[in-house]
Amino acid sequence: MTEKNIVNQIKQLKQIKPQKDWVFSLKTDLFKDEAKESFVFFPLFKPALACLTMFTLFFGLFGFAQTSVPGDFLYPVKKIAEKGQLAFVSQENRPQNSLAMADRRLEELIKIVESNQVKNLATAINEVESSVSEVAKNISRIEATSSSPIAIKNIVDKTKKLEFRIEEIRALGVVIGGEELQEVSAGLEVKVLLSDLENRTLTEEEEQVLDQMKKLAEEKEYQKVLELFFSEFDKKEEIKQDIEQEQEEEEETQEIEE
Amino acid sequence: MCPTLAKSFMGNKQKKFSKIYDQYIEKIYRFVFLKVSSQEIAQDICSETFLKGWQVYKKNNKIKNFSAFLYRIARNLVIDHYRQKGKKQFIPLESVAILDTNPGLEEKAIISSDLEEIRANLVNLKDDYQNVIIWHYLDDLPIQKVAEIMEKSEGATRVVLHRALTALKQEISKKDIKQA
Repeated sequence: MTEKNIVNQIKQLKQIKPQKDWVFSLKTDLFKDEAKESFVFFPLFKPALACLTMFTLFFGLFGFAQTSVPGDFLYPVKKIAEKGQLAFVSQENRPQNSLAMADRRLEELIKIVESNQVKNLATAINEVESSVSEVAKNISRIEATSSSPIAIKNIVDKTKKLEFRIEEIRALGVVIGGEELQEVSAGLEVKVLLSDLENRTLTEEEEQVLDQMKKLAEEKEYQKVLELFFSEFDKKEEIKQDIEQEQEEEEETQEIEE
Repeated sequence: MCPTLAKSFMGNKQKKFSKIYDQYIEKIYRFVFLKVSSQEIAQDICSETFLKGWQVYKKNNKIKNFSAFLYRIARNLVIDHYRQKGKKQFIPLESVAILDTNPGLEEKAIISSDLEEIRANLVNLKDDYQNVIIWHYLDDLPIQKVAEIMEKSEGATRVVLHRALTALKQEISKKDIKQA
């Protein structure tokens, strides 16, 4: 047998090969831990830097989200941030907080209307309506007797402003619900009024009017309550103030003459 | 070290090692298989070879002739395998034949009887002779590369190769006479 023959025989062993799928899976296995390592490398070995980056990204994201409007990609982030803040708001501050939120929603709606973002309009309107419901809910929970009169006056004023702004947008042709706001804010005014009257010393006639007002308030006829107040109490109050003013003016004139 | 930079360095090393893997996986598998004649064992030893190789390569990818390094790992793992099996030790490695050349019953089907005959003849030779034949004629490594793996000079390697072929010829002749 020649050397050539032997070599040819040997070369036949080249047919011995590994299975292809085993070859592939071994290669994958060899490097799979590298992907894990490089993934965990960052937080594991540089915790301070990782934390700093995470915080920056986190707050940066919230920062960018602040200018977003309904329909934007980051809008949910803005809502989440607001919900988070809500957790720190006490029960008595909720009406104020919900009024501020409703204002924000209105701002967003105005932005969308002005920039003609038709596709985001429906979402924005919904957001306004939900926020107005929230305001109404929080206001209806206010106890006229326990809250300070100044705080209540503040809330009533802000609610009126909110109603006014909603009316302005309605005038542009945008259909917004939230009719309950008027009723609720009127209800609050009436509550405050009745509580105030009860603390006064009233004549028998005035007591009767107050009873009438209370009955109307129970029936949610807030407008009639207010009308009754203006016709019976407020007019008298007006006359009283007019008389006092006249008296003051007379005194002044007398002083000058002297 | 900046993690992004580290990641790209690792990515680079991975690519280079991948190339080495692609080039040598079949050769090292065949090398091991011829000696252990079991697909499963050959796969295990091969896996371990490349795993060890990758661990070393990660730390130092400047090793010259990394393939030689892989062959040496594979060769040593085969030896360890037989030591664990409780077969006769080969001391020194170069002068003694590896025993247990008969494949298990379940493995016989993997290669044809003709190939099995050639394999059996080959593995009856002493380890150095087997290796030099496999590396030069099957793996097509030039003498210089074979010399590097064996850590011998080129001249010495050629001598070993010549003697290996002679020994194989004798082995085949012995078989032929037996069969006759």
